[in-house]
Amino acid sequence: MTSIFKALADPTRRQVLQMLRAGPMGAGALAEAFEVSKPTMSAHFAVLLAADLIEAEKSGRTIMYRLKMSVLEEALMGFAQAFGLQVTPEAPPTTIRKQSKEKS
Amino acid sequence: MKLNHPIRGALAVAALYLLGAVVFRELREHALFSAEAIARSMGVLMGLVVVVSANAIPKRLVPLARLSCDPGRELTLRRVGAWALVLGGLGYTLAYALAPIGIASTLAIGLLAPGVLVVVGVMARCAWKRHQAG
Repeated sequence: MTSIFKALADPTRRQVLQMLRAGPMGAGALAEAFEVSKPTMSAHFAVLLAADLIEAEKSGRTIMYRLKMSVLEEALMGFAQAFGLQVTPEAPPTTIRKQSKEKS
Repeated sequence: MKLNHPIRGALAVAALYLLGAVVFRELREHALFSAEAIARSMGVLMGLVVVVSANAIPKRLVPLARLSCDPGRELTLRRVGAWALVLGGLGYTLAYALAPIGIASTLAIGLLAPGVLVVVGVMARCAWKRHQAG
């Protein structure tokens, strides 16, 4: 349970989960949506995998991630989203590239 | 022989129902539980089993890719089905726990039935899409 709270505490990871709601996505496509380095993104994926909130599947040369959340975990994510759940030290806010593009 | 996990879980639930029925029967025979309390307890037990099982649907079921649709749609349908059953199961549990016993059964079924219908609809829609895709 701690690993789930840890995974949901970070806004970037929550954003990844939100994006995966639309369907499975490649690691590259997901990483491109965030202004963070690839190793940081890999670390986020590792945390989500460890919490069993996503699963990875190798498809050719890319890794596809798909959502694997129970109803309770989804409700927890919604709760964390609404009330800004923080169980770990606050990470610097991550901007999403799409949003920054829209602003410019 | 080692049983795989889904079958073990289903057998555990079946055993829980049977054990619950036997325990409640004994309690009633010894006048420790009224008929109403037994009906409520079994209703709550069944509702909670629905909630717990439905909660795990998006996580545990094997991908429905063979049954459906594109992966994104499949995921959405699975989530909708799971949410419908969890909310229906919660309604079922609460109806048996709190409603007057005379209407608890009808109310519980009335609350769970829409969830079941949503799941049946989701599966039918997937099967229809698959049929259309050839």
